[in-house]
Amino acid sequence: MDSGDIITPLVMGILLGGLYALIALGLSMVFGVMRLINLAHGDLVVLGSYAGYGLMTLLGLDPIVGLLISIPLMFALGFAIQKYLMGRAFAISSEAPLIIAFGISLVIQNANQILWTPLSRALNTSYSNLSFSIGERQFPLTYLLDFMAGIIIMLALREFLTRTYLGRAITAASQDNKAAQLMGINTKRVYGYAFAIAMMSAAVAGVFLGMTFPFTPTSGVSFLTIAFGTVIIGGLGSMLGTFIGGIILGIVQTLGGHFLGSASQMLIVYVIVLVILSVRPQGLFGR
Amino acid sequence: MALRPRLNVRIIPLAAAVLLLAFLPLIGMPQSWLLYAFLFFIYLAMANMWNLLAGYSGLISLCQPAFLGLAGYTLAIGTWVGIPWWAGLLGGALVAALFALVISIPVFRLSGIYFAIGTLVVPEALRMVFYLWRPVGGQMQGGGAGYMVKGIGGVSTNMTYWLAFVIGIGSIFLMRRVLRSRLGLGLAAIHDNERTAASCGVSVFKLKLCTFVISAVVTGLAGGVYYLYQGYIEPSATFNVRWTMTLLLATVIGGIRSEEGPLIGSIVVVFLYFLLARYAGYSLLIQGIILIGIMLASPQGIVGIFRRSRYYRYLTRSVSA
Repeated sequence: MDSGDIITPLVMGILLGGLYALIALGLSMVFGVMRLINLAHGDLVVLGSYAGYGLMTLLGLDPIVGLLISIPLMFALGFAIQKYLMGRAFAISSEAPLIIAFGISLVIQNANQILWTPLSRALNTSYSNLSFSIGERQFPLTYLLDFMAGIIIMLALREFLTRTYLGRAITAASQDNKAAQLMGINTKRVYGYAFAIAMMSAAVAGVFLGMTFPFTPTSGVSFLTIAFGTVIIGGLGSMLGTFIGGIILGIVQTLGGHFLGSASQMLIVYVIVLVILSVRPQGLFGR
Repeated sequence: MALRPRLNVRIIPLAAAVLLLAFLPLIGMPQSWLLYAFLFFIYLAMANMWNLLAGYSGLISLCQPAFLGLAGYTLAIGTWVGIPWWAGLLGGALVAALFALVISIPVFRLSGIYFAIGTLVVPEALRMVFYLWRPVGGQMQGGGAGYMVKGIGGVSTNMTYWLAFVIGIGSIFLMRRVLRSRLGLGLAAIHDNERTAASCGVSVFKLKLCTFVISAVVTGLAGGVYYLYQGYIEPSATFNVRWTMTLLLATVIGGIRSEEGPLIGSIVVVFLYFLLARYAGYSLLIQGIILIGIMLASPQGIVGIFRRSRYYRYLTRSVSA
C-alpha cells in the first residue's frame, strides 16, 4: 500500500464514523434520559449482530430484511429490561443500576457464547464484497451502507424526539423528571420506551456492524468503548454531537491504523478516550 | 480505640476457624481443598479492596484486573531478568500503586458512572499493550506476551498457600484499621454528604486517591501470589472482566458497604466455583443471574438477610466493637 496516500484512510474513517455514531446513539439516548451509562450496551449491540446472524443462517433472510423481525424483539426486550430490572434498581441506590447493567452484560455475553459458540462470525451477504469508487479509489460498499444507516437513524431519532408526543415526553422527562410528572407524563413508561428505542438502534447497529467487522460473543466491551468514546467526544445527549464524535473517532482509528499498523488500531481508540477524559471529561462539544 | 482486647468467648469459633485455615496444609487435606481455600483468600483480599472503593469511597472501579495483572507481570518478567520472586511480589505491588497514581490523573476527573466506564477501558487497553509488547524473552509463535514464572521450583504450594493466607486475613485487619482511622472517618463523612465534608476540611480528592492506591497495592499483592501459584501469565485471561465479575459478585452477594460482606461473599463465590466447575460455559451466565437477583432481592446482600437474625447480631457484636 502506498503509505503517502492519506485520502483512502480518511474517507474510510468518515464512513466508519457513521457506524460508530450508530452504535453510540442508543448509549447516548439512555444516558440523556436516565443518567445511566448502560454498561451492557456493547453486548446488546452484539446481540443485534447475532440476531441478524441467526435469522440469516436459520431462515435465509438478508440481515437488513431480518431487522423487520429483530427490531420488534429487541424493542420488547428493552422495555422488559427497563421495567423489571433497571426501573427497580433505580429505587435501590445510585450504584445498583450500574451493577445490574454489568450483570446483564455478562448474561448476554455468555448466553451468546453458549448459543453461538465463541467462534468469530460475520454477516456475509451477496453484496458484502462489492465496492464503489470515488475517483480512482475503491471503497467497500458496506462502509457506505454503514454511513447511510447512521445518518438515517440519527435523523429519524432527532425528528422523533422533537416532533412526536412520545418523543417530547422523553425529552421532557430527561430535562426535569419531577416537572414532567406534574405535567401528567408517566415517566416510568417513558423510561421504558426510551430504553426500548435505544435497543432498536442497537439492533440496527448490530446488523451493520456484523456486515463490516467479524464479531465474537466477547466483542461487546470493545464496542462499548467505541460507543463511549464517541459519546465522550461528542458530548452526551446530543444526537448531532454523537454523529460528529463518531466521525472523529473513525478518522482517528483509520489514520492511526494507517500510520502505526492495524494491530494497534483499537489501542489508539482506548488511549484517545482516556486522554479526552483527562483533558475534557464533559466531551469536546459538551456543555 | 485504646480498648485492650479481652478474651471473649464469642470470638473463639472465629479464632478456631482461622487457626484451622492456617494449619490446613499440614493436616493432610486433599490438594483440591487447599486450592479452594487459596482462591478464597485471594478473592477475599481483592473483594475487600473493591468494597473499600465501591462501598466506602463511592468509586465503582472496574480496573482491578489492571492492578493484579500488572503485579503478576512484574513478578513474571522479573524472574526472567533474575529478580527473586519475593522481590517481584513487592515490586509488583509497587508497580500497581504507581499505575494507580498515573491513571488517577484521567479517571479521578470523572465521578460516579463516568468513573466506572473510564476504569473499564484501562484493563482493555493494557491487554492490547501486552499483546503487542514483549519486553523480554524473544518472540513467541503467534504473538501475545505469555510468560512462565521462572525459577520458582523452590516455592512449594504450601508456601503460596500461606502467602495467600497472610494477605487474605491481613486484608480483613487492614479494612478494620483503615475504616477506624482518620481516613475511614473522612470517607464516612464524604459518603454522608460530600459537600459538607469538603467544607469541613475533609480533602475529598486526597482521601479517595489514598484508598485507590491502598486497593491497588493489596490487589497487586494478591494478584502476584495468584500468578506465583499459577506459574504462568498471559494477557487475555489476566486483563479480563472475569476478575471484575468475581470481585463484584463476592462483594455484592456478601453485602456491599459492610465489613463482613466480602468474607461471606468470597465463601459463596468459591463454593459456586466448586459447584459450577463442571459447567464451565454456564458458570458466568449463572453468576450474572445471581448478581442481578441478589441486587434486586436484597441490596445489602447476605449480610442484610443475616442482620435480621438475633443470633448473628450477638455473634458480630464482639467483633465489631
